[in-house]
Amino acid sequence: MTTTEVRSTDAGSDEFVPRSRTISKAEGWRRRGPLLPALIFLILVTQIPFLFTLYYSTQSWNLVRPGSQEFNWLNNYVDVFRDSQFREVALNTVIMIVGTVIISVILGLMLALLLDRKFIGRSLIRTLLITPFLVTPVAGALIWKTAMFDPVFGLINFVLSPFGVEQIDWVSRFPLAAVMTNLIWQWTPFMMLLILAGLQSMPKDIAEAARVDGASAFSLFRELTLPHLRRFIELGAVLGAIYLVNTFDAVYMMTSGGPGVASANLPFYIYQRAFLGFDIGQAAAMGVVTVIATILVSTLALRLIFKSFSGNEEAA
Amino acid sequence: MSTPVMHKKKKFGTGTIWTVLAWILGLGFFFPVLWMVLTGFKQEADAYSDPPKLFFTPTLDQYRAVLSSGIGTALMNSAFATIVSTILVLLLGIPAAFALSLRPVKKTKDVLFFFISTKMLPVVAVIVPLYVIVGDIGLLDNIWALIVLYTAMNLPIAVWMMRSFFLEVPSELLEAASMDGASLWTSVREVILPLVSPGIAATALICTIFSWNEFFFAVNLTAVQAQTIPVALVGFITGEGLYWARLSAAATLAALPVVLAGWIAQNKLVRGLSFGAIK
Amino acid sequence: MAAITYKKASCVYEGADKLAVDSLDLDIQDGEFVVLVGPSGSGKSTALRMLAGLEDIDGGAIEIGGKNMVGVPSKDRDIAMVFQNYALYPNKTVGENMGFALKMRGVSTEERKKKVAQAAEILDLTEFLDRKPGKLSGGQRQRVAMGRAIVREPQVFCMDEPLSNLDAKLRVQTRTQIAALQRRLGTTTVYVTHDQVEAMTMGDRVAVLRGGKLQQFASPTELYDNPVNAFVAGFIGSPAMNLMTVPIGSGGVQIGDATLPLEREVMTKLASAGLDTVTIGLRPEQLGIEHGAGFAAQVDLIEELGSESYVYAHLDDPKVKGLDGGPVALVARSAVRAPAKIGESISLTKLDGPVHLFHPESGDRI
Repeated sequence: MTTTEVRSTDAGSDEFVPRSRTISKAEGWRRRGPLLPALIFLILVTQIPFLFTLYYSTQSWNLVRPGSQEFNWLNNYVDVFRDSQFREVALNTVIMIVGTVIISVILGLMLALLLDRKFIGRSLIRTLLITPFLVTPVAGALIWKTAMFDPVFGLINFVLSPFGVEQIDWVSRFPLAAVMTNLIWQWTPFMMLLILAGLQSMPKDIAEAARVDGASAFSLFRELTLPHLRRFIELGAVLGAIYLVNTFDAVYMMTSGGPGVASANLPFYIYQRAFLGFDIGQAAAMGVVTVIATILVSTLALRLIFKSFSGNEEAA
Repeated sequence: MSTPVMHKKKKFGTGTIWTVLAWILGLGFFFPVLWMVLTGFKQEADAYSDPPKLFFTPTLDQYRAVLSSGIGTALMNSAFATIVSTILVLLLGIPAAFALSLRPVKKTKDVLFFFISTKMLPVVAVIVPLYVIVGDIGLLDNIWALIVLYTAMNLPIAVWMMRSFFLEVPSELLEAASMDGASLWTSVREVILPLVSPGIAATALICTIFSWNEFFFAVNLTAVQAQTIPVALVGFITGEGLYWARLSAAATLAALPVVLAGWIAQNKLVRGLSFGAIK
Repeated sequence: MAAITYKKASCVYEGADKLAVDSLDLDIQDGEFVVLVGPSGSGKSTALRMLAGLEDIDGGAIEIGGKNMVGVPSKDRDIAMVFQNYALYPNKTVGENMGFALKMRGVSTEERKKKVAQAAEILDLTEFLDRKPGKLSGGQRQRVAMGRAIVREPQVFCMDEPLSNLDAKLRVQTRTQIAALQRRLGTTTVYVTHDQVEAMTMGDRVAVLRGGKLQQFASPTELYDNPVNAFVAGFIGSPAMNLMTVPIGSGGVQIGDATLPLEREVMTKLASAGLDTVTIGLRPEQLGIEHGAGFAAQVDLIEELGSESYVYAHLDDPKVKGLDGGPVALVARSAVRAPAKIGESISLTKLDGPVHLFHPESGDRI
């Protein structure tokens, strides 16, 4: 058996010229290929209409007055910012989104904690709890408006009557709150499921180590559980907010935005302008403003969650 | 002599409170739905009562009335739109998710961001041009307009979800397949797809839920022929006014398919929403 | 079967500025069992993966059977690989796992079944052919991974730490089985491990790597008897060789109050190299435990293995340093039970065998 004594040569590193590591052009396209159909489709269907919206927003165009389409440049935008109703509606929208997200996250957290243990009927309860998310939002809004909130026949009043509460017309007196109740009812299961996933993905041995180290249930929750859940809560909040921005069904069904614009949110308000008021130009301008605002806010939010949930998770 | 009974008794105290609370909240959340279903079985007089009636003689009249009022077309339309758009989402989305995970493209994060950003666009901002464009192509009141829109609506979330499932596949498995002589396409078919199929099922379920329940596009872009279930339901209201029991029956029927699907495939739903956090 | 040649092969990871494998030169003969061994980060796995085609060959070349493999994809190299975590296809049965590569080649079903059955018999897997990997134990899964490689009858086997996920007893058992199997099949095998015992017992020749560079490529005995530098000396052999840097005196080296005598030619070599300290290496079995003459040491710990014992002691002399510059911990082997007591002062003498000498800075053999 021959032996080979080899000394490491430092000269080797000097002579080393690495082959180009960049992916060849052909390989690059082969990798991009599968992505293109989806990407192109999405660009076509979502961006092109928006370009039109931009175009319309510069025109004063009311369908009621045919032939009135003419360039209005940025006047529509000026009108938008002068419109006090628009401001109120924008505020409503923010309240609706933020309030719903916060409350449904809290409720979802509570429910997830309750569901994280084994008990009799656990899967039945989970089944019942996810139902509000599955029910058609239009039907859900209907239930709340009629069965629950109706001043005469609604269940809420019925349940509260022993406490001396007279027949309150919830939807008229607290329109925004009523709509939000429906939304919270609908979105809590979603938050619950996400947070439950987070709870169940927590490695058990860390919790055991903490308990052996003498941590109480409360400090365990605060120091270990909550930080671990943070990324799930963030994900839920962002996804929920994205969907909630477009809330339309609940407002349409329950209050039609009323009284006045007390419970109108941006989607509904713009819809009114376009399809009921036939003022295309104005509606378009409002749409653009909404889009810009949404992009600004969510860019911040999304960068945040990409940090915690981009699929490259460390030990979790 | 061991005393297991005593052991159980000790745990009885603290655990039960939470169990009871869970039951109360669970039933509480479900109650509005339950009430709606029950009301559908009432006579109108019973539905309108103060105080609300819990016990009554059930009847199928309301359901019969709803079913005979031509809800069939809406049902077909919803089913067609949901199924076809979900299939399209999978056809477009699976390759995209693949490209964004297993063979990373240079600007993966940016592309993902773009996908999600399309959902952040409030649809109301584009509804007018869509109405005009759809009208110009002659697809108003045509189910295909909805199919295209639903596909675009669900594609971002679907790609995001499926990408997380693709990322779960251990890279060693792919290396082994390539050493065994499998081309990329064969590896995908024989190794990857079987592994991610539960995730794909979960994604399909989520798409189904959102497509079936969609209202805004449907109400603006369809009239009679391409009407979907949520629109038909609303039509019931304006047509029927305050016939509460019948309305409840209609609402129950409208919500039933997706609720049942969600209940049956519950585990898939939970898995899908975990974005790969639970194995 | 084929000969493998690494010709100044190098590999760098994207974004890293250090080479993972630096100009590796290896001449592996047809039918040989070669082990690549080294600590973590030594580049051994990377070198293996370069051979398998799972990492790019950024510099130099790798030849299999005389053909350059640069740019050749894995599936065209006719190499079978056993992965550390086995990488079994979870949705396929054991039989399907083993037959997958043949299926890719278009081998007919009966031919496939026959070959799979043959391999299954060799590895004792016949009763598991219809089970899925999820239902197998770790050891069984490891055998399936090997079976998958054997069925292909490739020219080269690559094995990436295939035993590290097994428990200790199973590891020893499987080790002998793998070595026997390779001898029987005669296929050229490149095997990666961080366990030097595996390396010593399984390999025809062993390549020791460190920091991406080859240190020595020789038979196990050659590595043991003639390590080419201090690193190889300290890496091969368990417990490790005692290495310490000592001052050179007249006629030998000074350890504490005692002098370890060295031959005159050696002293001349040291003098001509202009050194006043030198790193010496003595294997544990070369140190005898006495009370009296020898270099003084204090016992820290005694390990009783039943067949022999190891005494861990430290020297008090500050002029004697370990390789890291700190105080020296020595290990002496004894065939006797309870050769000393903890805290006791003993004397260590040098028994038969050469004193290994290394340059105190470069570590190279003198």
